[in-house]
Amino acid sequence: MSEFLNLLAAGLTSGAIYGILGACLAVWFRVCNVLNLAVGDFAMLGAIGTAVLVQNDDIPFVAAIVVDLVAVGVVAWLFDRLVLHFAFDRRAGGHGIVSVFFYTFGLSLVIEGAARALFGTDVHSAPAIWSGPALTIADFHVQRAGILVIALAAVSGLALWAYLHFTVSGRAASACGESVLGSRIVGIDSALFRRRIFIMTAVLAALFGVVESPLTGFTYQSGPTISLIGVVAAGFAAFRRPGRAVVVGLVLGVAEAMLGGYVSTEYNDVLLYAILFVILIVQPEILGLSAVLA
Amino acid sequence: MAAAAAAAEGPDPGSVALEVASVSVNYGQFVAVESATFSVGAGECVAVIGPNGHGKSSMVTAVAGLVRRGGTVRVFGTALPVGDPRAAVRAGLVLVPERRHLYPQLTTRDNIMLGSYSHTRRVWARQAWAEVAGVLDMFPELAPLLDQKAGTLSGGQQQMVALARGMAARPKILMLDEPCLGLAEVVTHRVYDWLGAMTATDMTIVLVEENPVHALRVCHRAVRMYRGLVEQPAGEAGPDGPGPDGPGPDGPGAVSA
Repeated sequence: MSEFLNLLAAGLTSGAIYGILGACLAVWFRVCNVLNLAVGDFAMLGAIGTAVLVQNDDIPFVAAIVVDLVAVGVVAWLFDRLVLHFAFDRRAGGHGIVSVFFYTFGLSLVIEGAARALFGTDVHSAPAIWSGPALTIADFHVQRAGILVIALAAVSGLALWAYLHFTVSGRAASACGESVLGSRIVGIDSALFRRRIFIMTAVLAALFGVVESPLTGFTYQSGPTISLIGVVAAGFAAFRRPGRAVVVGLVLGVAEAMLGGYVSTEYNDVLLYAILFVILIVQPEILGLSAVLA
Repeated sequence: MAAAAAAAEGPDPGSVALEVASVSVNYGQFVAVESATFSVGAGECVAVIGPNGHGKSSMVTAVAGLVRRGGTVRVFGTALPVGDPRAAVRAGLVLVPERRHLYPQLTTRDNIMLGSYSHTRRVWARQAWAEVAGVLDMFPELAPLLDQKAGTLSGGQQQMVALARGMAARPKILMLDEPCLGLAEVVTHRVYDWLGAMTATDMTIVLVEENPVHALRVCHRAVRMYRGLVEQPAGEAGPDGPGPDGPGPDGPGAVSA
């Protein structure tokens, strides 16, 4: 029983990582039909930026987080103004395969290079927000940072889901991804939604990096791996449903932990991608969650 | 009815609702609209007719601020900025575009509700919907379809949703671009019956229609676009009279409905 609970805790923690990144990708894809392959790099900037500010510059931890998140927001804003604005607003019909992947992929490479120059190649982790030994309830151990990651995933998934489903603004954001012209004729500024949600997800990913980094540590190269995890989780959620991405992420994380615990860790990646391919080919709806998180 | 409410905010009859002066549209080298000049009085229903590919759609999308243009567009005397569809909607100039451009994954309810995006102050979608639900009085056939995704509706139903979304924007001037394109005869009649009822209100209507027989069922008069130019109908200030291919049976002219 205790083995099961510990595997469950580990699975939920890694599942929450899938979930948050999947949610970030899914909500922005919903608005502008572009995958943000730099989302993991924003997480890396959050983690390493905060760590470096605290260690090297002796800035208080909370101030370092704020400075770092603002800086990430500014990077995201600049990228939108300098690249996405010209790619999408100035050119009609720029929605081919190139725009879907390569602008943000390019951003990922740029951030990686800049991070290497700025922070070096060491492993960094931000100080723990909630420090102390792992919590133990009976035989059940769970890292405090893990609890924070799970909480952040749950809160952000729920908040994004509620925003998209219950508010006029969220419905308008969805409309942008459905029809650019259709949204513009009713007065929706699709470029503004694209920019706002890009910045919001960049900052959320950076916050995730700060919270999660005590568990795994980050190097300048961590971004693409994390982005890929996000793409997988978002893929399970039809690339459009942040709420579902969190739920799917948690389920995947637990499945992976159980497989690793009771069978072998050798099969983790195989399992993940095998399921993904099957579901993408057959029908995303077979996850059966569409009724809950439409 | 919502139309009456919208129209009640409208101006005095007799004034000019929409003034289009020397509007031009280029797509790179291609000149879609060379120069369009016409005006529409408040409460009037004017058809823009002419063959396909002669700039009608480009002209109305430019007037609505969706594509870059030259020239001047005034709504009740106020000039609209270029390339700013929000300003047009806020001024009361609403376009129901060709091929509808609905949001296929959103429900009928959300599609209609978002029509009110430019003027609603509501945060919650449910409350914003309550404010515009009155448009269903005009389109009762949509009531059972409210929770269905718009992409799953038939073409005729989608056109009704597009009209309802346009009305939810509280138009003072409603521009309809080919509202019956590709629709069944029975739906075309339904759309024109509705338009006929709208002409009785003091909403101003600009109807782009390739088929002048349809258009002149409901419109007070027509302007004709030919090769990117608006030809003034006979009896107005048109300098050159009929176009190069002559007036013909479907030509311009101040035809009374």
